[in-house]
Amino acid sequence: MEYKIMQILNEVCGAEDGELKPDLDLFETGLLDSFAVVQLLVEFEERLHVTLDIETLRREDIATPALIVRLLEKMR
Amino acid sequence: MIPYQGLLFFYVTGLLLLPAVVLGLLGKPLKYYGLFFTAAMLVFIFSENGQLLALAAFCIWQALMCKLFFRLKNKSRVKFRVAATLSLIPLVIAKLSGILPGLGFWGLLGISYMTFRAVQVLIDAYDGKLDALPLAELSYFVLFFPSVAAGPIDRYRRFSGDLNRRISREEYAELLRRGIWKLMFGLLSGIVISGLILRIWLEPLPENGIAATVSYMYGYTFYLFFNFAGYSSMAIGTAYILGVKLPENFDMPFLSVDMKDFWSRWHISLSSWLRDYVYTRFVMGALKSRRFKNRRTSSYIGYAVTFAIMGAWHGLTPAYLLYGVYHGILMCINEALDLHWKYFKQMKRGKWARIILTVVTFHLFSFGLLIFSGRMV
Repeated sequence: MEYKIMQILNEVCGAEDGELKPDLDLFETGLLDSFAVVQLLVEFEERLHVTLDIETLRREDIATPALIVRLLEKMR
Repeated sequence: MIPYQGLLFFYVTGLLLLPAVVLGLLGKPLKYYGLFFTAAMLVFIFSENGQLLALAAFCIWQALMCKLFFRLKNKSRVKFRVAATLSLIPLVIAKLSGILPGLGFWGLLGISYMTFRAVQVLIDAYDGKLDALPLAELSYFVLFFPSVAAGPIDRYRRFSGDLNRRISREEYAELLRRGIWKLMFGLLSGIVISGLILRIWLEPLPENGIAATVSYMYGYTFYLFFNFAGYSSMAIGTAYILGVKLPENFDMPFLSVDMKDFWSRWHISLSSWLRDYVYTRFVMGALKSRRFKNRRTSSYIGYAVTFAIMGAWHGLTPAYLLYGVYHGILMCINEALDLHWKYFKQMKRGKWARIILTVVTFHLFSFGLLIFSGRMV
């Protein structure tokens, strides 16, 4: 699961394997923006069958790869 | 009468808020008194020129749409579109009446804000996010007095959560303290400072001439910020006293480093509404159906559409429409810079480059507000 999440995250952020450190702030570094978040949600839905609610999703919930992995594992 | 203006308004509001303060400090629920407060204030504010009747008709119409749609077992996309269109009709008529003199004037104070709240309930119902939709709560949400005339635009589930949550005495005391503080700040900003800017800066300016227009651009930007941020602060403060934590509307917009940043700091409750219900849904739909060859195309078109709607929501006059198109273009340029100019991202992190970007962004949105003011077109 974690591998798949990181694979999607790498694709969306245009990053190489291992480039995204678990505690890297994806918004501060400009790797995620409004569009990338939507793209991420679509990929999670289509490939992992996990649906996140964009209206209640706060930036601080998905600010780093580690937080995203934790959130998705909790959702499943 | 206009909310948050004049001594009489504050006198009546203060008097009617007192029982809420007593109830809150005793740890009692505020929902029912809050409903009474909103009803009493609406009668007080909308009592002139048959506005109360128009408000009642509008509210019944919106409640009917929301309740009927909520009750449908099969909420298909077509049915949702019909309900949303019907819900938007009063707003469209009101906006059209502003530009077509033949229609007569159909304005209703706060109609743009109330309509967006009602449509948001429809969207929640369509998404299957509502377990129940009590009529009293729905009407209270759409008509919630502190924000009825000019926002902030709250979200139904958040609002309903506040209404049905038990607030302890201690928590209420803190809400009250923050509420009064916000009211005071709002008074200073929305009435004193913006009033001063209007009197000593904007009013004496000649109507024509480049220098006067440039000066007007700066003056109007500060005037509108202090006026609207102050107004929002008073609305939020009043809501806090009623136990409702309305969302913030401004977050130091003058510190924005680019236009995307600006729209996360200026009129936040409107921009986040448009982000969640127009931009995101448009992009999501486009991505899922693979509508565009280049995925980012959906983002560019999404921004253009979103901001065109933002302009039209303010009104259908050339100035507002142009304001929407202007911001749509700026957001697309911003998106292109983010994607294709690596140095842009670095600049946003550098100390001095940030200052330059902040000054540039300030001028970009100030110019937008000059368009918005209607002085140019």
